[in-house]
Parts: sequence; C-alpha cells; structure tokens
Amino acid sequence: MQMSDTFYDNWTTQLRKGLLELAILNTLGAGPLYGYDIVRRLGDVDSLVINEGTVYPILSRLRNEQYVESYIEESSSGPPRKYYRLTQRGREELRRMNSHWTSLHEAIGQLRKERAR
Amino acid sequence: MMDFTPEAKRKFDEYLLRMRVSMQGRRAVETTEVEQNVVEHVQAALAGVPSPVGPERLSEVLAQLGPPERWLPEDERPIWRRWADRFMTGPEDWRLAYISLALMVLAIVFVAVGGVLLVIPAYLVSRAYVEFLSDRGEPLGARKWLVLPPIVLLMVALGGAALFGPAGGFGAILSEVGLREFGWEWDSRADRMRIFTGMLSIATGTYWIVLSALFALLVRPFRALFQPLTANLRAGHAWALTAAGAIVAAFGATLLYLF
Repeated sequence: MQMSDTFYDNWTTQLRKGLLELAILNTLGAGPLYGYDIVRRLGDVDSLVINEGTVYPILSRLRNEQYVESYIEESSSGPPRKYYRLTQRGREELRRMNSHWTSLHEAIGQLRKERAR
Repeated sequence: MMDFTPEAKRKFDEYLLRMRVSMQGRRAVETTEVEQNVVEHVQAALAGVPSPVGPERLSEVLAQLGPPERWLPEDERPIWRRWADRFMTGPEDWRLAYISLALMVLAIVFVAVGGVLLVIPAYLVSRAYVEFLSDRGEPLGARKWLVLPPIVLLMVALGGAALFGPAGGFGAILSEVGLREFGWEWDSRADRMRIFTGMLSIATGTYWIVLSALFALLVRPFRALFQPLTANLRAGHAWALTAAGAIVAAFGATLLYLF
C-alpha cells in the first residue's frame, strides 16, 4: 500500500468515527428505531459504517448522556426489541451538531472554490 | 432465543466475552446494554435462517459486526488501564504478544546464562498468536513489533545453520591433512588455498542443490513454521537455491581445473 493510501485510509477512518454520532442522531431524528434497524439504515450510506458493532457502544453512550432514551416494545416477528428515540436534549444537540456540520461543509466548499479560481 | 449448533454457540459466547472484556473500564458505556443490542442484532440478522444456526452463517454476521476491540477508540481509557487490560484479560487481546516480548527481553538479559533458550518458548507463543489472529481474520497490525522478533530470529538462525553449517563441516574435513588424504599436492600456499576453496565450493554447492530439492519437498511445513514471514513461499523458490548451488559448485570446479 502506498503512503498516500495509508494517509487517506486513516483520514477517512477518523472522519467516519467522528461523523457516526451525528449520523445516528440524524437517523433517530425521523423517529424511534431499534438497534438493528439503525445499523441497516446507516449501512445504506456508502462507506459510513465499516464495523456495524461500533454503533452499539455509541447508542449506549448517547443514552447515558441523555441524548436518546430507550424502551422495550413487543415484536410480531420475534422477541421484544429495544427501541431508541431522541430526547428533547438530544433534539437540541442534534440541531447544534447539524448547524456546525453545515458551517463546516460550507467552509470547505468555500476553500475549494477559492482553490479553483 | 435462537437455536445455535454447539460450535456456533461456543463461537457466539466467545465473541460476547470479547465484547464484554473490550468494554471494561469504558466510561458512559453499559456493557449489558451493548450485549443486549448485539444479541438482538444477531437474532434479527439471522431471522429466517433454519435452526439450528451453524457457525458459518453466524460468522458472516459477526464479521459484519467487526472485532469488538475496535468498536471504541483506544484513547477513552487511561494508558495504564489499557496496558493492564491487554495483559490481564486473556489471549483475545494482546496478552500473548506481551508474553512473547517479555520472553525475548529475558532471553537477551540472561543470554550469558543460557537465556537464549527462551527464544524457543517466545517463538511458540508468537506462532500461536499469529495463528489465533489468523483464525479471527484480524491482521497483526502494530502487534508485529512484539510478535515477529522471535520468529525472525529463529528463522534466521535455523536458515543460516541449514545453509552454512555443513560448509563449516566440509571445511574441517578438507583441512590441509584432509586434502593430502584426497591425493592433492601443492607447491605454494596460494595453490593450497585454491584447492581448499575449490573443494569446499564443490561440496557446498552440491549440498545446496540437495538442500533445494529437500526444500521443494518440504515447503509446506517450512512455510507453516515461520508464518507469516513465509506466507508467499512456494516450492518454485527452491530453484534460486539450486541455481546458487550450481554456481558455487561450478566456481569450485573451475578453480580445481585451473590448478
């Protein structure tokens, strides 16, 4: 592997890790979901989740920090499932995080425009 | 609860144990909650698979989940805790790698009193660890710096002894007295050196050709002994040793012919 590939791989790994919490909160922004469903939805986003298991410790931490809450619901197709939903605090934090992400995205876009000139 | 075959159940229990160990000491993460989610995940992913579920199907789901040791960033725990956990929490972490390193350090420190023999257990631990990671489909990564030294050392020592050890023996046999017994006579020191070098080269070259044939026959066990260093070794590589042997023997024959 070339050195530039290693650099790129490390960078994308760090970026993915940094964005995963934002992605999970946004996924829950649409409504309550259980763990496997969150993973499936994130899996649909290209190269966002490499190891699906990484989602679960993040969910536990988000719940401990009261950004999400969980509840058990019976399932028609198997054992009861643990669902997660955003708390009020989680919604506010998600708003702030999305706003920051938009600012970052715009700033990078601006830099790219300047380079293109 | 989903039914697993005994092997799949053992595999899943082992995976959950690794998960629990890797979550130890992580602030703000509840192991029981993560475990419950992982169990639900596996059940959901395998819904529709005929019971009992075998290890192959389970392995596919666990591979998608990834190694639990990589689910959280390393820097969430204090460094002393990470080191202690790696050493204390079983072979699924870095324990074998550290044991191998410790044995190598002891081998160096006590080299004057036979400590070099510790290279053998260090090699065995390293080799077991390489196999363990291979079974789990994990790369060695940074652990290679802890695990590979005894394998490299033993490979170089045994390889060197196999290649050049007998040459020393031939040299002793072909000493001055030995050469006279072979019927050689010479007038000058230079001629004696030429006969000695010629005979030694022919003997060593011939030995290498025989050794290359043995190597081609036994390439599999040799490859297994020194994995992962010898992962790409093939029987065809024996030709390099055959060619080297032929060149050395031809050089020796030329020296004797010129004499």
